[in-house]
Amino acid sequence: MQTASAVSGSGGSSGVPASLRGILPVLVALPVLLVLEWLLSNSPFASYLLSIMAVNIILAVSLNIVNGMTGQFSIGHAGFMAVGAYLAGVTSLALKDVALSFLPVAVSDQVFLVVALLAGGISAALAGFLVGLPSLRLRGDYLAIVTLGFGEIIRVVVTNTEAFGRALGLSGIPQTSTVAMVGFWVFLVVLVSRRIAGSSHGRSLWAIREDEVAAEAMGVNTTGYKVRAFVISSFFAGIAGGLFAHFVPIINPGSFTFVKSMEIVVMVVLGGLGSTTGAIVAAVFLTLLPEALRSAFAAFGSESTLAQQVDQIRMPVYGLLLVVLMLSRPQGLFGTKELWEVIPRWIPRRRKGM
Amino acid sequence: MSGPLLEAVGVSIQFGGLKALSDFNLAIHKGDLQGLIGPNGAGKTTAFNVLTGVYQPTQGEVRVSGLRVNGRLPHQINHLGLARTFQNIRLFRALTALDNVKVACRGQAALHVEGVGPGAKFRGALRNYRDWWRALMLTPGFLAEERELTRQAEHLLEVMGLSHRRDEEARNLPYGEQRRLEIARALGTRPKVLLLDEPAAGMNTREKADLMVLIRKLRDEFDLGILVIEHDMKLVMGICEKITVLDHGETIARGAPAEVRSDRKVIEAYLGDSYLESHGGAA
Repeated sequence: MQTASAVSGSGGSSGVPASLRGILPVLVALPVLLVLEWLLSNSPFASYLLSIMAVNIILAVSLNIVNGMTGQFSIGHAGFMAVGAYLAGVTSLALKDVALSFLPVAVSDQVFLVVALLAGGISAALAGFLVGLPSLRLRGDYLAIVTLGFGEIIRVVVTNTEAFGRALGLSGIPQTSTVAMVGFWVFLVVLVSRRIAGSSHGRSLWAIREDEVAAEAMGVNTTGYKVRAFVISSFFAGIAGGLFAHFVPIINPGSFTFVKSMEIVVMVVLGGLGSTTGAIVAAVFLTLLPEALRSAFAAFGSESTLAQQVDQIRMPVYGLLLVVLMLSRPQGLFGTKELWEVIPRWIPRRRKGM
Repeated sequence: MSGPLLEAVGVSIQFGGLKALSDFNLAIHKGDLQGLIGPNGAGKTTAFNVLTGVYQPTQGEVRVSGLRVNGRLPHQINHLGLARTFQNIRLFRALTALDNVKVACRGQAALHVEGVGPGAKFRGALRNYRDWWRALMLTPGFLAEERELTRQAEHLLEVMGLSHRRDEEARNLPYGEQRRLEIARALGTRPKVLLLDEPAAGMNTREKADLMVLIRKLRDEFDLGILVIEHDMKLVMGICEKITVLDHGETIARGAPAEVRSDRKVIEAYLGDSYLESHGGAA
């Protein structure tokens, strides 16, 4: 793992003014996202699928900051997603009838969506801080147990709170999420993750992952760094939840169970603990897999029964996938490397050209 | 001359019923090169762990630059100027040699933040958030700092003769080089006192000889106080000006190498009293 390369890798080309270099990728990405939005405006299913995929990518990449880079094991990511989803949902419901009259409706909607998302994200980050501070002082597996408990607590609390619609869930949240918006957050989480990885903060996280005692002895405030990584990760989980709440018709506690948490962990482990691009690839793969199976079965004519069963056998398939992975490639798809570090090794010929 | 940089006063530590270290005293000044020896299980590494804050002393006081550090965390003690290496090498194995050192250099950079006194914590937090922001936005200041860290780390690798390993993962280095990389990493935190836990373990004779020269050079070049734990008597006797001998947690002797070597208690601890009986006492 070569953390130094990340800085030059994401730094943009020379000739760009220094003041712009930091946000250059955003300036490039925005028009691309808007074009994508325009292209997909007439295909709701593709938009929906892309949105689900994007949410999964955000979840996987953010969890990778904690589980991959810092080497802590959090298995309650769906809990933070739930916090974000419900808080953003409630915020949007409260602001439903407000609009910024001086802006076009679509733009005004997006402004309120961002407000709701930030409300969700910040609440989740706060929850992450409260959960992380006591449990990250300890070493080892305590975080796993605490986060597991947290996920369940959130689910039970939501199920019993009138304001969150109890078990029935929250419906009527304005469906204002767009492909451009989810794409933007995907872009942001990846950018943040890569830039952390390439900075001295990232090196400190890697050091904690490699040897916590040694990191502490070398002047790294290990508890502080673990908590910060955890808070950042929770924030993006909350954002993912908020986005989710704005494109599915109804959110209920069933969407944020332990199974969802495990799904995210599987994505991170499959992609390779510590690899951002690995998490992306795994998230895309695991989002498309059930869809592909479903349409494959549907194509064979066994519409309702078999296609529904695909959803049911998802977990055993994930389990099997993990076992096979652990046996054949325990470091995950990419290990700690990124896509562009791995590909040239797979295709030796292309190396000369690069 | 100012007071000692590192001082242990009457330090004892107890694990349940076992007294791992009792009434341990030590003072290291700038430019000192001291040794800490003793048979296996004598409490040498425990002493290191108490000094660096991994364990808390049950009794007594540890002072770094005159400041009492009991109850402080290891990274805070490190920021005060105390760095160590480990007996069983603890490098960041998957990181490159350069990054290993850069992690440590960075820890030192945080020193300006986390000082002591009222408001320091708050200022530290503020600066920390600004720091994250700078890293996320790739500001020119951040990039300059990153280059500076690289430069420092490269310099340290050069001093330790590891420049050719710059981009190799630490785990792929040969044993002797891993030990040297640990020293380079410890130096990255810009210590005033360096604690070396068996730096020569696993090295061959030639490497040991080189190491002796290197340790002296480090002391002179970096203005350090150095405390070495070592089993290799030739090395300890060869470079240390003062030696403390531990046995079962007790300090049984202290003094110049020649004195320690002829001390009856030391010979007894190392070779057993039957040796003394058959050879008619200390030489």
